Amino acid sequence: MSTVAITFADELRARGDDALASIFKLRPDLVSPVPNDFSALAARATSTPSLVRALDSINMWHYQIIEAACALPEPFKKSEIVAVTSEETAFALDRLWQMGLLYKEGNNYRTPTNLKMLIGDEPAGLGPIAVKKFDFSILKEIPKASEEVLAKLTWGPPRGQIGNIKKPGNAIGWLLDNGVLVALDSNTVALPRDVAIKLRGGKIHKDMVSKAPNLIGKEVVQKQIDLAAIANISTILRWCEELLHNLSDEPPTALRTGGLGVRDLKKIAEHLGIDETCAGFVAELCYLGGLLVIDSDDQILPTSAFDIWLTKSAEERWYSLVVLWLDTSRVSGLIGKNSDKNVAPLGPELDRAGASLIRRSTLKVLNDNPQLTPDVKSLQEIVKWINPQRANNDYVEWTLREAEWLGITGQGALSTFGSNLLNEKEVLEIESALPKPVDHILIQADNSAVAPGPLTPELASEMGTIADIESRGGATVYRFSDSSIRRGLDHGKTGDQIKTFLSKISKTPMPQPLEYLITDIAKRHGRLRVGSAHTYIRCEDEGLVQQILHDKKCEHLRLRKIAPQVLVTDFELAEVIGELREFGYLPAAENSGGVLLSQPNLRRSKSRPKPPRIISEFTAPKDAIVTAAVKTIRAGERSKKVEPIIPGTSSNETLALINQYINEGKSLIISYADNNGGVSNRIIEPISISLGTLTARDETSDEILQFRIPRINGVAPSLTKSENKADLDL
Amino acid sequence: MSDGPLIVQSDKTLLLDIDHILSDECRRSIASFAELEKSPEHIHTYRLTPLGLWNARASGHDAEEVIDILIKYSRYAVPHALLVDIAETMSRYGRLRLEAHPVHGLILVSNDAAVLKEVTRGKKVAPMLGKQLDDETIVVHPGQRGFLKQALLKLGWPAEDFAGYVDGEHHKITLRQDGWKIRKYQELAAEGFWHGGSGVVVLPCGAGKTIVGAAAMAHAKATTLILVTNTVAARQWRDELLRRTDLNEDDIGEYSGAKKEIRPVTIATYQVMTTRKKGVYAHLDLFDAIDWGLIIYDEVHLLPAPIFRFTADIQSRRRLGLTATLVREDGMEGEVFSLIGPKRFDVPWKEIEAQGYIAPADCVEVRITLTDAERLNYATAEQEDRYRFCSTSQTKKEVAVALAKQHANDQVLVIGQYIDQLDQLSEALGVPVIKGDTPIKERERLYALFRTGELKCLVVSKVANFSIDLPEATIAIQVSGTFGSRQEEAQRLGRILRPKADGRGARFYSLVARDTIDQDFAQNRQRFLAEQGYAYRIIDADEILKK
Repeated sequence: MSTVAITFADELRARGDDALASIFKLRPDLVSPVPNDFSALAARATSTPSLVRALDSINMWHYQIIEAACALPEPFKKSEIVAVTSEETAFALDRLWQMGLLYKEGNNYRTPTNLKMLIGDEPAGLGPIAVKKFDFSILKEIPKASEEVLAKLTWGPPRGQIGNIKKPGNAIGWLLDNGVLVALDSNTVALPRDVAIKLRGGKIHKDMVSKAPNLIGKEVVQKQIDLAAIANISTILRWCEELLHNLSDEPPTALRTGGLGVRDLKKIAEHLGIDETCAGFVAELCYLGGLLVIDSDDQILPTSAFDIWLTKSAEERWYSLVVLWLDTSRVSGLIGKNSDKNVAPLGPELDRAGASLIRRSTLKVLNDNPQLTPDVKSLQEIVKWINPQRANNDYVEWTLREAEWLGITGQGALSTFGSNLLNEKEVLEIESALPKPVDHILIQADNSAVAPGPLTPELASEMGTIADIESRGGATVYRFSDSSIRRGLDHGKTGDQIKTFLSKISKTPMPQPLEYLITDIAKRHGRLRVGSAHTYIRCEDEGLVQQILHDKKCEHLRLRKIAPQVLVTDFELAEVIGELREFGYLPAAENSGGVLLSQPNLRRSKSRPKPPRIISEFTAPKDAIVTAAVKTIRAGERSKKVEPIIPGTSSNETLALINQYINEGKSLIISYADNNGGVSNRIIEPISISLGTLTARDETSDEILQFRIPRINGVAPSLTKSENKADLDL
Repeated sequence: MSDGPLIVQSDKTLLLDIDHILSDECRRSIASFAELEKSPEHIHTYRLTPLGLWNARASGHDAEEVIDILIKYSRYAVPHALLVDIAETMSRYGRLRLEAHPVHGLILVSNDAAVLKEVTRGKKVAPMLGKQLDDETIVVHPGQRGFLKQALLKLGWPAEDFAGYVDGEHHKITLRQDGWKIRKYQELAAEGFWHGGSGVVVLPCGAGKTIVGAAAMAHAKATTLILVTNTVAARQWRDELLRRTDLNEDDIGEYSGAKKEIRPVTIATYQVMTTRKKGVYAHLDLFDAIDWGLIIYDEVHLLPAPIFRFTADIQSRRRLGLTATLVREDGMEGEVFSLIGPKRFDVPWKEIEAQGYIAPADCVEVRITLTDAERLNYATAEQEDRYRFCSTSQTKKEVAVALAKQHANDQVLVIGQYIDQLDQLSEALGVPVIKGDTPIKERERLYALFRTGELKCLVVSKVANFSIDLPEATIAIQVSGTFGSRQEEAQRLGRILRPKADGRGARFYSLVARDTIDQDFAQNRQRFLAEQGYAYRIIDADEILKK
């Protein structure tokens, strides 16, 4: 006779290749790594982590059926489970069987033991199984007071506390006397399972929710959605870019615990003109994409991947970030959430299991309900139906918020771009929807210039070096100032080049004050040259040399005049330049050959991108992998030779098997390694398992002993009495 | 995607392409909720602020309307977040109301108990409130109306003020339009103010703000207190009121250093109001002397701090602020908003110019190269003396004199900051100078001579920055100023913006010493005008000296 668990492996073994393929498809975690043989597959499929995943992935209706299955005495017939649930259940059983949440014994069904453990002792709020057979006719005679007590227990929880079991009072006393309630201990009573089912009208659940609720929402026109979404898409891309440039300019230092500090986050939020929640999300998004990294010296800097990212088209840039967001386990919504402790973006505390599951489910509902801005509550209800075990209303809300920021949705409804993304279309159609880039600017008399649309990247970068950005959005407003022109000159441009460039791209004539400004700065720029030998200042303008020499603010530089046009100091070049600039001069650095040193001040981390690890759900494996897995497992099975008397089992299997024995109250033989490393077979009657330790009665010594689970090498059923014990001691 | 004239930026500025065919229509639509920030030649900038949006709510526009307008005129898709933000901001207005209660006086009311709770917890607000009558009503301490409104605004819960205004003592005032007619924009400004109850009207210099004041008085038909910058301005107001309304000489009083008359219409100077005797403001009682129905603040951008404080106490009286330049270098624009009232009317300078009500102006920056000796001296001067040094250089004086002589046939004002410099110029040009210590009588005499054309050129200090009406002045030469003050530059240009009888344009010269701090200040000074679309032209001083 074989045990129940081995039956599950056997049953799996007997399944056709198609059925095996579907268990791998429905439970992708089982395929990585591919199990060696069927007992390994059975063990894995009944292990707690895998079952938890499987339960996470089933909807509320399937979950109800599993609850019902766990409440029934096993094995049960199809008709039995249909009777306590609903007619429709018949259609769901096959899928649950395919998932390995049920398995067949002939025409009957069983559940894997661990599953019962996960569902708990009181499935669907049903109490313990009565020991004695119950005479249902007594239910017709229940006095009124007792009926009220029963009503409270019928739909669970099935237990009730009373003061003293010896003085239960009339109502409860009657029920106890007649076996309608049973006493669990001196002050707890419970309603036995079959009585409760009877009282529930022969059903286990009040309602079987075989369908998800309908999504309520506001209808929106797709065109409006897409308009809003495209604005969101260009905005989020701009935010990312801005944030990373900002990090390059002023790299913040990461917190000791990792992550971005509150003050830095606030600064970034102000810089981007958005709230901190949103800024935290943008930072996380860049982090996911490997566009920024926490450097070895704790500085948070853009990576070289950012430069590559910048060269890509808007669609590629968006896709590269959004696709990671879909699967990430990091939950940006938690940022700053915790009341007593700040949760930092880029920090280690944002990972949450199940986050991507809920994110995907939320988006799937949107995908199934096009042109609808969902009511959040209604959407949360549906997600709860899809993933009853993992549903989290906050996650749903955050997903909606983030999807809107990302432009997956517009006005709350799924955009064409979002739908293309979710349905894995080749082209997302973003590029064609974005406003066409403009190739001109309008310069105005107040030294500002407006690019009335997105500038082509080349023009934008040119403008960025010679003007400061004052406002962004559909258009960009630039302002020319002393320092912005100086920056342009520092980048190696000449005044004439700047003027030619501006008059070429401006649709309006260049105002005279701007022309003068550029000429003036260009004339003054580099007139002061600072070198390092240890640092000299030279200038053809003696008046200026005189001015600096007498400048009280420069006193601490201890400048000495070594020629009418040259000053020297013992300070470092950088310090001198900084101070001079601060005092309003326009010095330029030069090298030993007298050549101007000019380089843009772009800071990049030297580290390689280290995007955060994604703890995501297993995605459905490709068909090829599934086929290969089935092949492997069959091969593994064939290679198995003669089974030893006590087959070796893995810890998981051991655990599953022993649980089985405990439930059935049977004795078994284990192969156990003692403290000295010697292995012996023992016949035991298992009692309970806790904390990796098995408590059991050793048949030989008749003592209660503790066995450590990891030391149990194998488990086998004990032989019947007629067989000779001595034969076993081989 | 529509091809509208408006670009909505994510920092809540709105860029209006004024060369677009729909720009006029769009401007009118957005003016009710967005504030005009600058209006240079091609693209005007408006800004969406909570104040502006609440203002729009106060005048009966709702969020849906605002959003519709933005979407209708926007060239690109409007970020959804911004629209949500607008709706949210606008919904905050009016959750709190100030009302008059027959028994308890002023009360703060809200249907939203949570909001009421939130604001009463505010440290600043709590002391202004009295007993809570029920969940929705709290008594406000008398006299705290202005301060409370200010504090609530800062908390982001502006109170809608239903407590109303006192009518004040009745006094019949009507406009007497004989031989002149009130202009459309003046009428709109006065009406905008009247419907809003209190607030500020922004009009360019020379566009006739006094008439807006007079029209407001005609609406109020009540005793009026007018606060102005100085005595000369006070007299100009009186003359103008006599000319434009049916008020007679006995109706109008002057309350200044010289006279202390209190009449149904009283014109007082800021200076006398803020005079202290033994540390006490001696004349603040004037605010209570008569049951005023209207208080007008001329040049509200100059309103001194003590008057601000007092204004908070008189929130039940209608208040009208007038200015050309609502920029304060001290950043107190917010105080003006909450105490006098929101901006009720604003119009780009260039638009008034296009209608011919102010003279077109040509702004010229004259770059002066200092001599080597001057430069060396400048270089070694103390930091605090540098501006004075470069802006009063000898070279500058020569250029100023040459310029004035070139315009010998025009009415020329030479304006400066430093008295020594002005005295020297007056001597070199052989013309009189008006400065702080010139007696009022003498000032009036000289202005009169200048108006009639007997005097062709006048040297003035900053006493002539504001409110001085010199219609025929066509040339202004600015030699020095109060550092980088934007509003001073604009006000000085304003002196020559009155339309000329012969339709000539005005010219404003600003003399700037090259490569000195003077140039940096000049750049800042010019910013306000540049944003109003006045493009400065730069010429070299040598060109003038050569002629």
